[in-house]
Amino acid sequence: MTEQDVLYGGNMAANPESTPVQTQTEKYLLFVSNNLLFGVPAAAVEEIITNHTITSLPLVPEYIRGIINLRGQIIPIVDICCFLGRDEESNSCIIILQTQDTQIGILVDQVEKMVDIPVGSIVPSPSQSGQKLVCGMCSLEDGQTMLAFDCAQLLELS
Amino acid sequence: MSAGSDSILDAFLYETNTLLEQLDSIVLAAEQQDSFSQEDINTIFRIMHTVKGSSAMMEYNSLMTIAHRAEDLFAIIRDKTMDVVPESLRPELFDLLFQTIDFFRGELEHIENEQPLTENIDTLLQKVNRLIEQINSGGQAPEAAQQAASEAAAGAAPSAPGFPYGLQVFFDEGCGMENLRAYMLVNSIKELCAESDFTYEPQGVDSDPATADQIVESGFMLYFRNQDDRESAIHAVTGAGAVRAYQSVDQPAAPAEPAEPAPQPAAESAPAPAPQAAAAAPAPAPTPAPAPAPAPQATPSPVSQKSEGGPHHKESLISVNLNKLDQLAAVVGEIVITESMVTASPDLKGLKLDAFTKSARQLRKLTDELQDVSMSLRMVPVSGTFQKMNRIVRDMCKKLGKQAKLTLVGEDTEVDKTIVDSIGDPIMHIVRNSMDHGIEETPQDRINAGKDPVGEIILSARHTGSEVIIEIIDDGQGVNYDAVLAKAIRNGLAFPDVEYSHKEILNFLMAPGFSTNSEVTEFSGRGVGMDVVKRNVEEVGGVVSISSEPGKGMTTTLKIPLTMAIMDGMEVSVGGSIFTIPIHNIRQSFKITEADLIRDASGGEMFKCMGSFYPVIRMRELYQMSGGATRMEDGILIWLDAGDLSYCLFVDELLGEQQVVVKPLPSYLNHFNIKPRGIGGCTILGDGNISIILDVTNLYTSAR
Repeated sequence: MTEQDVLYGGNMAANPESTPVQTQTEKYLLFVSNNLLFGVPAAAVEEIITNHTITSLPLVPEYIRGIINLRGQIIPIVDICCFLGRDEESNSCIIILQTQDTQIGILVDQVEKMVDIPVGSIVPSPSQSGQKLVCGMCSLEDGQTMLAFDCAQLLELS
Repeated sequence: MSAGSDSILDAFLYETNTLLEQLDSIVLAAEQQDSFSQEDINTIFRIMHTVKGSSAMMEYNSLMTIAHRAEDLFAIIRDKTMDVVPESLRPELFDLLFQTIDFFRGELEHIENEQPLTENIDTLLQKVNRLIEQINSGGQAPEAAQQAASEAAAGAAPSAPGFPYGLQVFFDEGCGMENLRAYMLVNSIKELCAESDFTYEPQGVDSDPATADQIVESGFMLYFRNQDDRESAIHAVTGAGAVRAYQSVDQPAAPAEPAEPAPQPAAESAPAPAPQAAAAAPAPAPTPAPAPAPAPQATPSPVSQKSEGGPHHKESLISVNLNKLDQLAAVVGEIVITESMVTASPDLKGLKLDAFTKSARQLRKLTDELQDVSMSLRMVPVSGTFQKMNRIVRDMCKKLGKQAKLTLVGEDTEVDKTIVDSIGDPIMHIVRNSMDHGIEETPQDRINAGKDPVGEIILSARHTGSEVIIEIIDDGQGVNYDAVLAKAIRNGLAFPDVEYSHKEILNFLMAPGFSTNSEVTEFSGRGVGMDVVKRNVEEVGGVVSISSEPGKGMTTTLKIPLTMAIMDGMEVSVGGSIFTIPIHNIRQSFKITEADLIRDASGGEMFKCMGSFYPVIRMRELYQMSGGATRMEDGILIWLDAGDLSYCLFVDELLGEQQVVVKPLPSYLNHFNIKPRGIGGCTILGDGNISIILDVTNLYTSAR
C-alpha cells in the first residue's frame, strides 16, 4: 500500500543550486492549502506521501484526521484546511514533518516546489490578531507571497 | 537524535545507577556479616572512584565531593583491612554508606529532572569526615610501618630470594586497571597458600595506579616458595578474569637461601606508632621502587597460553536504548507484514512457482524467528526490582525495630522491560505494607505465636504460559477481618448490617482511600494504599489478589501478562472503524433484541444476564461516531470484565481473534485526552490498516 508513496526526500537534498551562494539561503517547501501558499523549512520535512489510508480516531477535534501507519510508525495527521476553519475539498497529499522529535503529518491540497529563501527575509506578518500556524511572511522571486508555516505552533494545538 | 551531551548524560546516569545498585547489594550483603571482604572493599573503592571521576567530568560537584571522601574512607579501610573499623563503628559505617547511596540517588534524580543539585552537603560530608577520624584514632594505623616494609619487600623482590618458583601473568590487552586485577589475584592466592609463602612484584598494586603500566609491559610476577603452591595458584590464575596468558618461570639454581619470609606480611600486624597523617590525604602509598624489568628471566617454560575464548566469565551484556528496541520491533513487525504481502501477492495467482514457494516458506520461517528474537530482546529478569526490596526490608527493620528477612524466589524470571519498570512501585508498596502491618510488632509476639522470631517475607516470581505471577508472602499476623470490616464501615465503604465474606473484606483493602493503620507512618499508610497498587498493576494489564489466614500471614498475588507488546485481541467493528478488545477482558457475547434491554429511570440501558444486571454502553454513542448499528438486532453485545467492573459493550460485529502487537499512540495525541476515555493504544493489522485498542476500564469510567 505504500507503492504510491512519492519520496521527494532525495530530490531535495540533491537539487543542485545553480546560483552561486552569496547570501545564505534556506530551503523551503511550498505547498498550497485552501488557496494559501505556505512554506515549510525543508529541514523539517521528512517525506511526502499521497493516497494513504487514514484511520480516523474518535473523540478528537475534527482537524485531527486520524493516524496513519507509515512503515510501522504511527503518525498523527492534522488537516490544515480544517484547522484554519475552512472545510473544503478532499485533500490527499500528506507532508510528514519532523519537528522537536515528533513526527506529524499535515494534510495539504498540493505540494508545489522547493525554493531558496535568503535567511532573514522572512518578516513577521503584520496582522495584529496573530495568525494561526503562520510565523512570518516572505515575498518570492515570482511575486507570490509565502506564508511561513509555524511547525512549533502545530505541536501545541489542542 | 538529540545533542551529543545528552547521550553522555544518559550514559552517566545509566552507569552511575548501575554502580549504585551494585553498591547497594554489596553493602546489604556485607551488613549481614557485619564486615566487608577485601574484595568488597576494593569494589566499593572502585565504584566510588568511578563515580568521583565521572561526576567530576560532568561537573556535578556535590556528587564528586562526597564520592571523593567516601573513596578516601575506603582507601583507609582497604589499606588496613576491615579490622581497622572497630565493631562499635561498623553499624555507623553501614548506615553512612546507605546514606551516601541515597544521597547519590537523590542527586541523580535531580539531574534527571534537570533540577539544581543539592548545594548543602556539609552534614553528610561531616559524617564521613568524622567516621574517617574515628577510624584513624580508633585503630592506630600501621600505615607507615607497612609502607616501609613493602618498600623493603619491593627492594628484595627482583630476585625474590627464597621464592624460586615464579609465575608470570599477563592480563588482556586494554582491559584496564591491571594493578587492581593483580591485587585481586593476590587476594585469591592468599586464600590458597600462606602469605609468607609467596610474594609478588610490582608491589603496591593496590594503591599505586602507576604499577598498571609496569604490569602491562612486563607482566605481573608471582614468586612462590614451593612448587605446590604455584600449582594451586595457577588454578586461581586461570579462574581469574581477563587473564591473557601466564607462564611459569623457574630459577634454575635457586640460591639456597632459606631466607626469612619477606618482611611484608609480618608488617601487616605490626603496630605502628605513626597514625596516618591527615585524613584528607587520599592515601596514595608511595610508589614502590619500580623493580628492574621482568626479574629473573630464567628458562621460561610456557605452561599454557590461555586462549581468548577460554572459560572467561566476562559480562557479555550491552545496554541499548529502549527506543531502539521499539524501533526494531516495529521494523520486524513491518517485515512480517510485507513478507505476507509479497508471498500472497495477487500477481502470483494462477502461477505455478515451485522454487518460489519453497523460498517463500523458508522466508516465513526466518521472519517468524526474527520476530521471536526481537521480542525476547525486551525481556529482562525481575531480579533488579527484587533486589531493591532487600534495602527496603533492611531500612524498615531498623526503623520499626522489627526483625525480618527477605527471601527471593525465581528472581531470574524474565518479563517485558516496561512491565518490570511499572511493577517496582507496587511491589515496594506491598513489601512495606507487609513489614509495617504484617510482621508482628515485637519478636516476642512472634515467639508467643509459635513462630520464628525473625519474620520472613518471600518475594517470588514464576511464569505460567502467558502470565508472570508475582507473590509477596509474609508470615506475619495476617489480616484482621474484624478490624478491616470495622474500618470499611467507618469509611463508608461497607454497610454495618450486611454480612461480608472474607474475600469481600480483603477487597476493601484495595478500595480507594483505605488504610488499615490508624496512624499514618513514614512507610505505608499515606492514604494512598493498595488502591494505587491495584491501579498500577491494572495499567499493565495485571490483576491483584489478596489472601490471608489470621495468625499465619498474608499473600498478595500479582498476575501480569508477560509482555504488553503482544496481546490476544478481539477485532470488532463499529461503522467503518476497527477496534481491538483484549481477549482476557471478554467474558461472553450475545445477540439480543431491543426488547431484552431494560431501561432505568435516567435512561441508562441494562442487560440482565445470569441473575445480575449489567449496564450497556453503545460504542457508537460513546465515541460519537457517524456509522454503526443503532438497533440491537443489527449488532452484537459483548460482556466485558475488568477487575471488579463488569458491563456490556454494543458493537456492530465481531471480526475475529488476532494476536496483535501493541503500539502506543503518538504522544502528540496526548493533548487531546483520549487515553482516559478508553483508547489504550493501537495496532497494525495484517493488511497494514490500523486498529484502535480499547482500554476496558477507562472506557467504562468515561462512559459513566
